[in-house]
Amino acid sequence: MIRTYSSTSGRFDWTGFLFAVVLAIVIAVPLLVVFTWAFTEIWRYPAVIPQKFGLRFWNQTLSRADVWDALSISLQLSATVTALSALICLPAAYAFARMKFPGRDLFFLSFLASHAFPKFGLLVAIAAIFLQLNLIATFWGVVLIQLVGTLMLMIWIPVAAFQAVDRRMEEAARDVGAGPLRVFWSITLPQAGPTIFAAVLLTFVSTFYETEGAWLIGAPQIRTMPVLMINFINNQVVIQYGAVLSVILWVPSFIALMFARRVIGTGAFAKGFGA
Amino acid sequence: MADTAIPSAIGGSEPAIGRGLKGLLLVAIPVFLVGWLIIYPIIAAILSTLFVDGPQGVHFSTASYQFFFSDPYSRANLALTLWTTGLCAVLLLLVGLPIALYLRFSTSRFADLVQSLAIFPMFVPSIILSYALIRTIGPNGTLDILLNAIGLPKIPSPYLTPWGPVIGLVWDNLPLTVLMLTAGLGSISNSAVEAARDVGAGPIRVFWHIILPRMGNSILVTISFTVLGIFSSFTLPYVLGPASPEMMGPFMLRTFNDLYDPLNAKTQAVISFVFCLFFGLFYVWSIARNQRSQTR
Repeated sequence: MIRTYSSTSGRFDWTGFLFAVVLAIVIAVPLLVVFTWAFTEIWRYPAVIPQKFGLRFWNQTLSRADVWDALSISLQLSATVTALSALICLPAAYAFARMKFPGRDLFFLSFLASHAFPKFGLLVAIAAIFLQLNLIATFWGVVLIQLVGTLMLMIWIPVAAFQAVDRRMEEAARDVGAGPLRVFWSITLPQAGPTIFAAVLLTFVSTFYETEGAWLIGAPQIRTMPVLMINFINNQVVIQYGAVLSVILWVPSFIALMFARRVIGTGAFAKGFGA
Repeated sequence: MADTAIPSAIGGSEPAIGRGLKGLLLVAIPVFLVGWLIIYPIIAAILSTLFVDGPQGVHFSTASYQFFFSDPYSRANLALTLWTTGLCAVLLLLVGLPIALYLRFSTSRFADLVQSLAIFPMFVPSIILSYALIRTIGPNGTLDILLNAIGLPKIPSPYLTPWGPVIGLVWDNLPLTVLMLTAGLGSISNSAVEAARDVGAGPIRVFWHIILPRMGNSILVTISFTVLGIFSSFTLPYVLGPASPEMMGPFMLRTFNDLYDPLNAKTQAVISFVFCLFFGLFYVWSIARNQRSQTR
């Protein structure tokens, strides 16, 4: 960000203060409410502060079998999708960044297709294909539909990482006799590594929270964590279950996402989300 | 982004044809997935809704589209979706543009704080946001509690009305809007703004005559992206919105999963594609153009 105007120096920045306060209220209050509910045992309207705090609902939530089933399914799905995505996309990203081949620019841009259509319409069109292939309500059906959603992130961010590697160092290593694999392992990977790791992390977290494909393709057999959350929201009278799950799931993903953003920068991070 | 490879790079000693083949092989699987799971389903959805199985074999028919546009419920869902998408796009611009302008031209210490706050929703999954909003602005939620505490009447809760998804979608899409608009403002030179100020133009005239014409493109990209994301959004409308009429996302899911009616679900999907066609094309075109200009 280029900041050149010094018109605010000396005076108090009321505009900025106002923006900060309004944004803080609008963005932080809903999240604080969830945190409060997670540690509340009794909170009856219209008390401003809950009548009784406690961890009773943490025990109850964590002793539910459906929570553990959903968590297990979600972790398996995210791990499988992330591993497959890395396996097929990282070599491709390397090729896009370093090699010349016919149709390279067109193929590179073709990954935009996943963001150029209204997402849910695309999912329904895929689901219609899966219906004929008997992939509906199967683990691998959900894996495939979530894999498609990760392609762009796992190719565009690593391509930028490979291109940012200092080519002169690679050439220097080759000049002193290092083979291509050795150059890749000792020079290229350490430089591109952190960004690629951040992209993998981003893929894992965004797959974990992917709701629409998992529901459309997976229902009713494959029930992931976000799908279970929707069930809790719609059908569960105990408010705290949803709050406890939100806190448990959100905190680790938040730390992972903050780390990813720090490594790859806000602009590329936004691109990973399709900006 | 894709710079032209220097020939002496990896594999420089191999013949060019071998390198080309190796590159193609490395990108083959992801490109195949794009073809099989994005391009093919879309073409299949269009063809299979227009050429349907009848008693005399496959024949051309627009019956499912005629049904959609003659069915009041489907039309109401489409209208609600268009209303929500349009309103969200306008609201996002109205909220995002001032924040982006502030971030571009401010030097104060609040700027970093404002930026962190504005992009914070990117780290909040929509399912957790939905839950948080129900507890906050739902009936007897925190907002009601606070209003009651200071002796004011409760708000008419937006939960389960069309305003619920609007609030959620604006919250959820604010970070990308601000980031994309800030990026667009970055290309406006300070000298142009300073020159206008020197001849006595006020902030509004600077915005109208200098800034706005130069960021028209990035505003359009932002709108395109927002429209594509919101038109068929699912989680927020499903959880926060009314059951009837519903937005296209939940409508398609119900048609496909609960009514076991793939034909009409596909018809709804194709209609969504058509309504978003312009925005999708513009989005791809502008990103492709950026790529080109960075390559050259």
